[in-house]
Amino acid sequence: MIARDRNWLLIFAVCVALAVVYPLFADGYQLTVIRDALIFGLFAASLDFFWGRTGILCFGHAAFFGIGGYIMALITLNDAIPFGSLLGILGAVAGAAFVAAIIGYFLFFGGIRGSYFTIVTLAMGVICQQAAVSWSSVTGGDSGLIGIPPIAFDVGGVHVDLSQDLPSYVFVAAIVAIVVLALWSISRGRWGTVLTAIQDNEVRAAALGHNAPLRLLVTFILSAAIAGLAGALYVCMAGLVAPDLSGLLLSTEVIVWVAVGGRGTLLGPVLGAIFIQRAQQTISSFNPSLWPLLLGCVFVIIVFVLPDGILSIYARLKGLFKSRRHAP
Amino acid sequence: MDFLVTTLLNALTLISILMLVGLGLAISFGLMNVTNLAHGEFVTVGAFAVYFVQSIGGSFWLGLLAAPLAGAVVGCVLEFAIIRHLYSRPVSTVLATWGVSLILQQGLELTFGLGAKPVTPPIEGTFDLFFTVYPAYRLILIAIAMLTLLGVVLLISRTSFGLDIRTVIQNREMAEGVGINTRRTYAIAFTFGAAIAGLAGGLVAPLAIVLPQMGVNYLANAFFVVIVGGVGSIGGLVAGSVFVGGLTSILNYQISPSLAQAIVLLAAIVAVRLRPNGLFNGASR
Repeated sequence: MIARDRNWLLIFAVCVALAVVYPLFADGYQLTVIRDALIFGLFAASLDFFWGRTGILCFGHAAFFGIGGYIMALITLNDAIPFGSLLGILGAVAGAAFVAAIIGYFLFFGGIRGSYFTIVTLAMGVICQQAAVSWSSVTGGDSGLIGIPPIAFDVGGVHVDLSQDLPSYVFVAAIVAIVVLALWSISRGRWGTVLTAIQDNEVRAAALGHNAPLRLLVTFILSAAIAGLAGALYVCMAGLVAPDLSGLLLSTEVIVWVAVGGRGTLLGPVLGAIFIQRAQQTISSFNPSLWPLLLGCVFVIIVFVLPDGILSIYARLKGLFKSRRHAP
Repeated sequence: MDFLVTTLLNALTLISILMLVGLGLAISFGLMNVTNLAHGEFVTVGAFAVYFVQSIGGSFWLGLLAAPLAGAVVGCVLEFAIIRHLYSRPVSTVLATWGVSLILQQGLELTFGLGAKPVTPPIEGTFDLFFTVYPAYRLILIAIAMLTLLGVVLLISRTSFGLDIRTVIQNREMAEGVGINTRRTYAIAFTFGAAIAGLAGGLVAPLAIVLPQMGVNYLANAFFVVIVGGVGSIGGLVAGSVFVGGLTSILNYQISPSLAQAIVLLAAIVAVRLRPNGLFNGASR
């Protein structure tokens, strides 16, 4: 096991430990705040899995979050459907994956990469939000759908009911931990190595026998499916779904979470999501329109000052000390 | 018959606007390889310039002069402050220009306040076109857009600055070798594209809902124009505008605007999938 992996697992273990002891010190409200932030952290990790490994930026990832949310809402609000929560989650994941498969197929096999991909996904996000607003007979239009029940299901004779704060927190934290660990083991294994090769030089990777478009497509679908899962979880916890959930602002924010937390680290984006949301709540309480303005400034600052995220400060400091030590 | 002519003229209005907005994007995205997500804000700034001039008592035509100037100023500052430092980092350009776009949107909202801004057209009333009756202002819009495009074609094909641009686009290193200041050429070309987008914003202001967030729709559509039409030629720009603008106007008659937009997006994606080489000119990939 190389040192980098050991460090990652160590940080992961610390985060899990913090998540486990947190309920001992927090009241119900604080638990729900962290729970919702963790769901967005899962969403950020899903984007990072694609962007961090392939170097291709998806600018409409909230579309998948929103699709997952709306599917979950529609299924659980329909009393005729049994096992609403489980089927809802399945439907949300499948729906987001399906849309990603269609769009990804045309783009990746059409040779679309880089900026072109970014722009098409940007437009996809715009259209998803418009569709959510205008298709009001199904989506409830601007006001969205309310009264979505909390997740509840029976598994192996055990009744799971997430209407209380603590069980829902534990459920979300466990899912986030499992998914992040799974994504990490995929991306450090052979699959991730091939993706890195494709990112470095796609022609060469293809010449070595790797089906580059297929790899990118499957990675994109997986990323979208997890975004859909995050969306489904979120609407059940919040109890409502609105067009904002598929909107451009959320797509933008998730990019900031990943960029601030550190692209390609999977854990960084989760932490980035938690901390930036905290900052957002504080700032928005002064003046709601100040937040997008600040977000814009953060983008510019990241690009010029911290291209590798907050965590890179540590690496840079370490590099600084190392070079000092080796100096004669 | 009159239905057909009206649809055609509606399409022509949209196509004209798309061509003007797409022109600046064709320069920055297609030729300089810079993904400028703040391009839609040039349109917004142009529209707000007309609103501002009208609100302090100026005429629409004065506003229409101010619109490209406002676009040019914003574009010039953006190029100097951000884009020229990031020519070799495409993803960073995307992030930074998106940040600028957010800053401009919120800046406009903080300055001018919430809500749509009214802009009155210079002429009310309609014009009898023999087949049909059509709003006079839209005819003027089409005429101005066509004249502007003609001017740009002449500028690029007939002047020495146009020759510089064409040289830099074909081969940047060689252009530097023969003594062309490529940074300056890029900066001027970028500013020029921003000015044209500002003009488009000014022209569309009386027809559109003038909001700080109006730019993003033009941004998405203009990118489709450039992607579908292919980069590097005025012909591609026209073809892309006709494809996106024409399809949108025809669909808008039958179905809701957002569904129409979704279909146009899908059509554009399929078109790119089917003709990846014909629609993209290798240089920009």
